[in-house]
Amino acid sequence: MIHLLVSVKQVPDTTNIRIDPETGSLIRKGVPAILNPYDAHAVAAAAEWKKKLNGKLTVITMGPPAAEESLKECVEMGADRAILISDRKFAGSDTLATSYVLAEAIKAIDKEDPVDLIFFGKQAIDGDTAQVGPGAAIRLGIPLITYAVEIKEINLEERYVLVIRKTERGHEVIKATLPALLTAEKSIAEIPYASLPDLINSLRYQPENWTAEEPFPYDPSQIGLKGSPTWVAQTGTPEAHEPAETISVGEKGLTGTVEEVLKDMFANKSVASIWEAIK
Amino acid sequence: MSEKIQFDVIVVGGGMAGSTAAAIAAREGLNVAVIERGQKPGGKNYFGGALYTHSLVDIYPDFFDRKPPLERPVTETGFWFLSEDGMVKATVQGGHVNSDPIDAYVALRAEFDLWWAEQAAAEGAFYIPKTLVTDFIYQDGKVIGVQTDRPEGDVYAPVVIICEGVNNLLTQKLGLIDHDLKISKTALAVKQLISLPAKDINARLGLPDSKHGMAISVVGDVSMGMPGLGFLYTTSNALSLGVGVTLDALEETQIKPYELLQRYLEHPAIAPLVKDGQLMEYGAHLIPEGGWTTLPKLYTDGAMVAGDAASMVNAIHWEGTNMAITAGKQAALTAIEAHHKQDFSAKALSAYQDRLGELFVLKDLKQYRKMSAFLKNHPDFMDIYPTFLNDALGMFFTGFGKPKGKLYKDILRSLTKRRPLLKVVGDMIAFGRAVTGI
Repeated sequence: MIHLLVSVKQVPDTTNIRIDPETGSLIRKGVPAILNPYDAHAVAAAAEWKKKLNGKLTVITMGPPAAEESLKECVEMGADRAILISDRKFAGSDTLATSYVLAEAIKAIDKEDPVDLIFFGKQAIDGDTAQVGPGAAIRLGIPLITYAVEIKEINLEERYVLVIRKTERGHEVIKATLPALLTAEKSIAEIPYASLPDLINSLRYQPENWTAEEPFPYDPSQIGLKGSPTWVAQTGTPEAHEPAETISVGEKGLTGTVEEVLKDMFANKSVASIWEAIK
Repeated sequence: MSEKIQFDVIVVGGGMAGSTAAAIAAREGLNVAVIERGQKPGGKNYFGGALYTHSLVDIYPDFFDRKPPLERPVTETGFWFLSEDGMVKATVQGGHVNSDPIDAYVALRAEFDLWWAEQAAAEGAFYIPKTLVTDFIYQDGKVIGVQTDRPEGDVYAPVVIICEGVNNLLTQKLGLIDHDLKISKTALAVKQLISLPAKDINARLGLPDSKHGMAISVVGDVSMGMPGLGFLYTTSNALSLGVGVTLDALEETQIKPYELLQRYLEHPAIAPLVKDGQLMEYGAHLIPEGGWTTLPKLYTDGAMVAGDAASMVNAIHWEGTNMAITAGKQAALTAIEAHHKQDFSAKALSAYQDRLGELFVLKDLKQYRKMSAFLKNHPDFMDIYPTFLNDALGMFFTGFGKPKGKLYKDILRSLTKRRPLLKVVGDMIAFGRAVTGI
């Protein structure tokens, strides 16, 4: 029996985000929290393979208590077990600390019930780092397949997985030994429309709660702000570009237009000095 | 095959009527399912207006201790009459408005409905979101459950309370009303929520601090000669401004809803209020304004209907949410009674209509039953008189150095050039009848 695991994150719906013009910080009020879309597709893919191979699907997340909602959504899609790793001590964790926490949790789950294939979304839409999945793979010491668009085959006898991943130049077909970790693109699976009994089950489901101490303690120097060498110094919206200037060629003629553009360029001191240097 | 999903009561829709019905029925120990098509209750809501304390406290006596997500109390309310370039204000503050608790609070229902649903869930109601009820399940002609759009999606209960909102497809499907929405009896309200620092809102509207708020009905030029009303509400740090007009008027004039709203926001009396504000939301919603004339039959074997789905709106008084709450409660009380008697027939559920008949809901809808016809037959009513009011006051207070006899003649003429006096008298009588229902 296969054991699949998906690590998910609850994120603010960034299509709906507003920045407070006075403080430059995110306005959280009224912004719905959603399951990171890439993670949702990862769960959908895992649920498909769970059904196909009659296996088991575990979902974990690290986040605030409200992230429980996202776990319930995973149960709705077909997860059998959902674990919320939540503790104030984790607050301020960057991708390094987060991948540590998740990798340790996965190790603990694996000890109880060996995990064959681990899924992450390719990135979270709030931070867009795409670091936590790969970080966890390194910490677990297992093969990593990023930007997976399709799982062709999972072979439990011969212990391998065949995955198509997207690259800048095209698609690669990767064969990796199990256990392996992949990060998913949206095309890896369609989000299923759950049956009503499954939805009701998920609404009644209570995820397990893990903390920084229970069921096992984390190394306090590797979590939270202490374990995070990076932090967000500032957030804001980029200044809008000045609208481009329009010069009418019809009015000034081609030569006149070029002259005017050059004149404007050389009015800029740095351009003029570069020109002098070249000359 | 999985087990049959069975509840004591099914509520369709997690808005004000639905979550109220669910709370009352669950409080009595009934097993209640609320089926909501949105991601969450409130997810489909776009309301930024006033909620009325009397109805909220009636459901939860400790309402204010529960820390509801209300915006500002309404400490000033009334009419602003717009002419093309001017405004006359008639608002009231203090006195009756300064009651304890304050009569009305501004709320954004996307947020409030979720909270209102959480109160019902705490009473024991079970919410099933993201699920659309598509039809009913019948046995011997009686409703015994609903079908949803999900696989294995049937849900059973001996009584269904339909609180599906303005687009009342299920109410139609059940034959409680024999027609689809009528464009002459349905208004489209377009609204913007414009964020501003609280201190600017207070300064621009003359509010002493952020614990004071406004609910204003804006009449006149705002509806561009169509039967309709504008509004302005203050949230903690935003203004909710919009205008609602009937769909048939929009169709006839071919005026685009966003043009209507934009023109309102650019009116010389309104533009300074929203200057430099940040647009937070922009959207529109239908409002059933037919009242008594589009009231469906409120019950049948195994089902009742409440709220917008049943046209329970009094547009002139901005009432709708309170009617929905009251109707939701009465439907739930009727469902509870039906469970006690184990009788879910139309006859048993007719008690719901009797209860509403005793309350303001049906009384008011009946009293105002001529209003929509009045507005239909007097399309320029909301244009002529607000403009006249602006002219009259404007001339009165600028008539310096002129013979006053001529001043009064001019004032009168500003009215009679638009409407002959005899017709004015007729308008007033017709309006009086529409309001009093006599």
